[in-house]
Amino acid sequence: MEALFAPEEQEAPTGPLLRVHDLRRSFTVSGTRIDVLKGCSLEVARGEVVAVVGQSGSGKSTLLNIIGLLDSADSGEHVFDGVDVTRLREGQRARLRNERIGFVFQQFHLLERRSALANVSVPLVLAGVPLVRRRAIARELLESVGLGDRLSSQPHQLSGGEQQRVALARALSLNPALILADEPTGALDKASSTMIMDQLLDHARSRNTAVIVVTHDPEVAARADRTVTMSEGRILPAEEE
Amino acid sequence: MSRLLLALRLRKVFPDVLRSITAGLVLAFAGSRANVARTILSCAGIVVGIGALITVVTAGDLGERYAKAYSESVAGRAATFQVDLMAELEDLEAFEADLQRAGGTVVSLSTWISGPVVRSGGTPVPDVAFAAVDASLSDIRRLEIVQGRWFTEEDQESLVPVLVVNEELAGLLGDVTDVEIGTRRWLSARVVGVVETSAFESYPQLYLLRSPASEELMSSLSSSEEPLMLSYSVLVPPTDADPDSFLYRLASASWRWGAPTENIDEFVSVWRSDDSEAVDEMLGYLSMGLLGVASITLLTGLLGVLNVGLVTVRERRRELATYRALGASSLTLFVAVVTEAVVVSVVAGAIALTLCLAGAWVVDVLASPYLPSDVSVFVPPEAALVGLASAAFVGLLAGIIPAWRALRASVVAGLRE
Ligand SMILES: Nc1ncnc2c1ncn2[C@@H]1O[C@H](COP(=O)(O)OP(=O)(O)OP(=O)(O)O)[C@@H](O)[C@H]1O
Ligand SMILES: [Mg+2]
Repeated sequence: MEALFAPEEQEAPTGPLLRVHDLRRSFTVSGTRIDVLKGCSLEVARGEVVAVVGQSGSGKSTLLNIIGLLDSADSGEHVFDGVDVTRLREGQRARLRNERIGFVFQQFHLLERRSALANVSVPLVLAGVPLVRRRAIARELLESVGLGDRLSSQPHQLSGGEQQRVALARALSLNPALILADEPTGALDKASSTMIMDQLLDHARSRNTAVIVVTHDPEVAARADRTVTMSEGRILPAEEE
Repeated sequence: MSRLLLALRLRKVFPDVLRSITAGLVLAFAGSRANVARTILSCAGIVVGIGALITVVTAGDLGERYAKAYSESVAGRAATFQVDLMAELEDLEAFEADLQRAGGTVVSLSTWISGPVVRSGGTPVPDVAFAAVDASLSDIRRLEIVQGRWFTEEDQESLVPVLVVNEELAGLLGDVTDVEIGTRRWLSARVVGVVETSAFESYPQLYLLRSPASEELMSSLSSSEEPLMLSYSVLVPPTDADPDSFLYRLASASWRWGAPTENIDEFVSVWRSDDSEAVDEMLGYLSMGLLGVASITLLTGLLGVLNVGLVTVRERRRELATYRALGASSLTLFVAVVTEAVVVSVVAGAIALTLCLAGAWVVDVLASPYLPSDVSVFVPPEAALVGLASAAFVGLLAGIIPAWRALRASVVAGLRE
């Protein structure tokens, strides 16, 4: 499928799509400081699919939230698509998140009481895509994940796997450079997991979209170009894996 | 140079802002459509609050018009003097001319007379109040003609006394084409019009036009035992309504009238007869009281809406966090939440207004027999305006606080809810 929407068809900057270096993040819970990220570094190339594995509580979601600009590190380098995002204002971060990053969450995070079509349209609304065009894009995406006949279904009328496909279509709607998936198959059965991963990787590979997928499932990790392991707030060096 | 930079910056920033606002509006409408229960819940409080506000303003307006109608029909428009003349003058015409020169814009005889009796078909009607007046009285006092007409200049030429009666008297007379009036002997008289019985004074009343034909009836005044007293209604500009200075101006011409004494205070008294000052004062207190009630009402409504707003934001934290994760800017989110609140409020305000319009119509139908004919119950435009504007304002206020709270919350925490 050809690109449906390309907000800025500019020459891509050279170098890695993402580079984080020595990220630190701590939380203070009732006076006690918990260091979650303790100097975490990672580079992801354009179109590369990276699986992040590691024990529960090792900081995978925290890292993904920072990479997705939902949270900020206390210190460290963070360059996305050639831009030092630590210097951006909130509005600019929101725009980058909207146009360049897609999310697939374990809990789907679809909007209740709204149709699949409306859900997929949200990023397009935020990007200012006109109504007719965003309808067309959303419909085409839903068809491409096999939900062409469920356009007006609301989340509670869909199975978990179907909801995650709607979420995937939503993540793809603005043809982002990076898709962040935090345990996308964690709430799904085997068949649905396979289907979601097939669709996610098909789309990513055909559009040269980078993917960072956090997972506990070795089968999912095996399909990535590269797997990194996270342990106690750090990405382990490749040789230690 | 810097202006050029600014212009360039604006050209870059403005579409972004516009885009954020548009997105906020789209989300707001999608949001209120998707969450009907939430919308109805916030509506209910505002409908009550705004309805009460519109009712209060409507009641205030009705009270004002009622008080004004009362005052004008009983005592004259603003400002009316009653001038009492308690002596026989050699030149009454000169005195009346000087009432105008002293500042009266309209002057009319308006004197109660006792003595004449009126009858129709041979049966006298007891307890009729007779007022001897000039045609100009209708310019001073509110008189609603329900049949025929008020006096005109031509009535001066009539060979028989000319009368206007009120509805009450017309009813008692029955046939108004065969009316006689008299003191010592019966004279046939012509009734040219019927005025509405005032809602405030419902006894039979008769206006007798001062004219050559009615002189015989009038002269009975001077021959009676009591000292003569003529009363005049004098309309003066409300800006110049001080009885003392009017009397002072009048006094300077008193030598012309052939009065029995030099001292004008002994035979002329001037006092303000319209109640507009008292009515204004009363309305002042009334509107202050109503304003208080309205503010409390509105405040209660605001708190209600605010509460609903905060509750829904708490419920919506995940929804709003999802929007933010998908790239909604603060402005977009702010516009979305505030717009939703304002739209819901204004729709609720419109519902309240509709209910009030219907209510006013029902009250008007039920109350019209007890109100003067020109005082009807309706929702005045300013009440509608105040209601809708307050609704928008309440919505704005009730939207801004939850929106601000939603923006302060962390996206990650919101998604975890
Ligand atoms: N907002 C927060 N406040 C306090 N502690 C937090 C917060 N977010 C994360 N943590 C802590 O940071 C640590 C890492 O959390 P994180 O969610 O990143 O782990 P994870 O690797 O994703 O684990 P899992 O595989 O179970 O999802 C945990 O100990 C968690 O309790
Ligand atoms: Mg996690």
